Amino acid sequence: MRYIMLAVMMSLCGYASAHQWTPTYPKLERSYVDGILQVTMELFNSRKDVKYYEILVYDSEFNPVKFAAQERIVEVQYLKRKSIDVFIREQDRDVATYVCSKSKLLKGTGTATIVSSRICSKIK
Amino acid sequence: MFKKSLALAAAIVGMNAVAEDVTITGTVASKCVITTDTVGVYGNPTPSELSTAPADGGVLPIVRYDVLQANFYKARIEYPESFSESPALSDVVTWAGDVSVSQVTDATMSAYDTSKVEFNNVTEIDLTVAGSTWFKVESTADYGVGKAFPAGTYRTIVSADCIAL
Repeated sequence: MRYIMLAVMMSLCGYASAHQWTPTYPKLERSYVDGILQVTMELFNSRKDVKYYEILVYDSEFNPVKFAAQERIVEVQYLKRKSIDVFIREQDRDVATYVCSKSKLLKGTGTATIVSSRICSKIK
Repeated sequence: MFKKSLALAAAIVGMNAVAEDVTITGTVASKCVITTDTVGVYGNPTPSELSTAPADGGVLPIVRYDVLQANFYKARIEYPESFSESPALSDVVTWAGDVSVSQVTDATMSAYDTSKVEFNNVTEIDLTVAGSTWFKVESTADYGVGKAFPAGTYRTIVSADCIAL
């Protein structure tokens, strides 16, 4: 009951100004290209002040790992969801640990203190 | 007769449409949602200081973390150590700040203030309880040695990360 209430609250509160990146533990799967693996992530933007998100892949020490995606800076309109395929080389299978999305803030917008959000999912 | 039959048939069809079931499905899975609850404002209590403390005329930025399941994520919050936008500054700015729990949906979350790990301008907290936690971020900037900040707009960025464990 507590979890259901929390889920309802999160879905309602999420409309304030939130950033959501799921799943928490994505799995690397074979892509249509030989030697390339992919994870499919979903980004939900309910931050009115943010329209662009950067996709990033890191190892366990948060060093960047090479990857490909249709766009590295993704435009997601307010209250829209976007499914994003991230492609990683098979040789980096054991290195790639985190797939993250980070809000990109436009210069000269917002108030004195702006919040930059980054959510990282862990590849299993 | 034909008209009445047609009306009856239409009514039956209409009733069937009303009785149609509409399915709503949803999935509850572990996730972390970062919400900007309050954007901060710098107060200017003295010419050489900018501060988000309410006592200094500022507004504390507040970030809310929602986690659906316990022990799946850690929060990592950085208070600012530079301006993202400011007039040209010729002297050194000394930064200070703090991250602490502001509100919770579960009383046990108040332990986050004692279990948090702080280094440099970073605060890391393992989100060990499911629910929402509001974190307030204090930030102060001192310019030179009692030097007055030049007039203009000052902006900084608070980084709020949610990292899967």
